[in-house]
Amino acid sequence: MPEAIEIQLKKGALELCVLALLHRQDNYAYEIAARLADAIGMGEGTIYPLMRRLQTDGLVETYLVESPAGPPRKYYKLSEAGKRSFISQQAAWSSFSGAVEDILGGAK
Amino acid sequence: MTRQAFIARLREGLRGLPPQAIADIVADYDTHFADGAAAGRTEAEVAEALGDPARLARELHAESTLTRWKEERSPSSAAAAVFAVLGLGAIDILILLPILMTVGATLFGLIIAVIAVFFAGGVVFAAGPFMDPPGGAITALLAGIGLMAGAASGGAVLSLVSIGIINALVWYGRLHYRLLKPALQS
Repeated sequence: MPEAIEIQLKKGALELCVLALLHRQDNYAYEIAARLADAIGMGEGTIYPLMRRLQTDGLVETYLVESPAGPPRKYYKLSEAGKRSFISQQAAWSSFSGAVEDILGGAK
Repeated sequence: MTRQAFIARLREGLRGLPPQAIADIVADYDTHFADGAAAGRTEAEVAEALGDPARLARELHAESTLTRWKEERSPSSAAAAVFAVLGLGAIDILILLPILMTVGATLFGLIIAVIAVFFAGGVVFAAGPFMDPPGGAITALLAGIGLMAGAASGGAVLSLVSIGIINALVWYGRLHYRLLKPALQS
């Protein structure tokens, strides 16, 4: 079931990707959704349930910024807990993907 | 699908959530359409990239119910959490269902048994001393207290086990969000 594997892989990586984008700079949801949709091929709408979960888990915070056109924009930023979570998840991901790479390389 | 149709179907699916939460969620998707329009995309393109509003609403609904279970450990929020997970309709949950029902029924049986033992203890405690039991009245009193205390601690263990099982189910449900199902397939 290659499709199922792909979904599982992306699901695991999505939260990490969002945290990584926000670690680089604060951002608003449309921009996050657009970047991730292009890069990993997910439905853009799925970003909102995820952002709400990250917010209830206390990993991200929001603030409003006046926008030149239209209503104020809601920006997301990492909380302190979010930064810590990102750093530990990043380390876990690196060691895991390194190990998988090694094994895949050996299978050739 | 137009922006209006998308928002209408989303609202439909979110019914039952607190009004403030619905307003927040709808505002998020509304902004998404506005940003999409500003980036030069049509409403239909944005709606297609967003995915099925009914599915999104189910996930948001489940998330909110699961949050309530985390904040408030009550039988009603437990039931809501279990139904929300089932509502996600992950096929694995259907496979899991017989096991879940067995576990649920066993727990229910144990709870009834614990309550019965508690009352039996009460009866032994209250009536025992007058029935001229072997070992005298004191033995009956102590046996009654022992039975009730045993039942109470059994009940405490059972409720911890139930909370653990529901937490596991919630975790399992979250694992099964089809968050990443590409918009076109959903």
